[in-house]
Amino acid sequence: MSGAEISVSHEPADALAAVAALRRLADQIEDAAVEQAMRAGWSWPQVAEALGVTRQAVHKKHAKRLIAAGVSLRRR
Amino acid sequence: MAAIDEYITTIIDRGAYEAHADGSAAVEAHHLLLAIAAGPESPAHQVLASAGLDRDAIRDALDREFEHSLSAAGVSLAAFDLPRPSKAAERPSHLGASARLALERGFASIPRRRDLRPAHLLLGILEAQVGTVPRALTLAGADRAALVTQVRQALAEDGGTP
Repeated sequence: MSGAEISVSHEPADALAAVAALRRLADQIEDAAVEQAMRAGWSWPQVAEALGVTRQAVHKKHAKRLIAAGVSLRRR
Repeated sequence: MAAIDEYITTIIDRGAYEAHADGSAAVEAHHLLLAIAAGPESPAHQVLASAGLDRDAIRDALDREFEHSLSAAGVSLAAFDLPRPSKAAERPSHLGASARLALERGFASIPRRRDLRPAHLLLGILEAQVGTVPRALTLAGADRAALVTQVRQALAEDGGTP
């Protein structure tokens, strides 16, 4: 099974750098996915629930960027 | 404004531009390194240029460091095919932990603030032994210790405190 071959490096420097890179990748994917969802007409509460965060948190993090990008946002 | 303050402001502004283009919420040490490489002529800029580290070469090394670090956790960047997100409405103004450490290290190497030179900023960035910058420099085939020595030499020739 190929999925079982994934292994985290045992070198601390590599493992720590992997954590930093994964956080950055997660942020990039979040930016892209939230934008895609809002463009598709999702509401803030739906996006928040899907991410497992509060509506306030997701709004605070993304609203300004999406408004500036011209995405029409649903209020509820 | 003193020339050095003007230089630091220029580098942080350009660093914010790089952070914004990167989709980063904060300006980090590697954004300041890109800024120095892209920035105004200075002994710091010359040390990087003579090692073949122009802005694009460093950007390329940083991209490879990102992919390389993800691969240590078994993650492939190519596996994600989402559209590129829109950029933040404004450039980040917040200095991240790595950028603050770099500035602190740069300032710590001089006895008095008026001894500060552009090269001290680069020295502060290059002195980090772990993190994104040293890893990217290694991937670019650059010798970090040799770069530090060259920056110190440039400072000595410049009449500064190495």
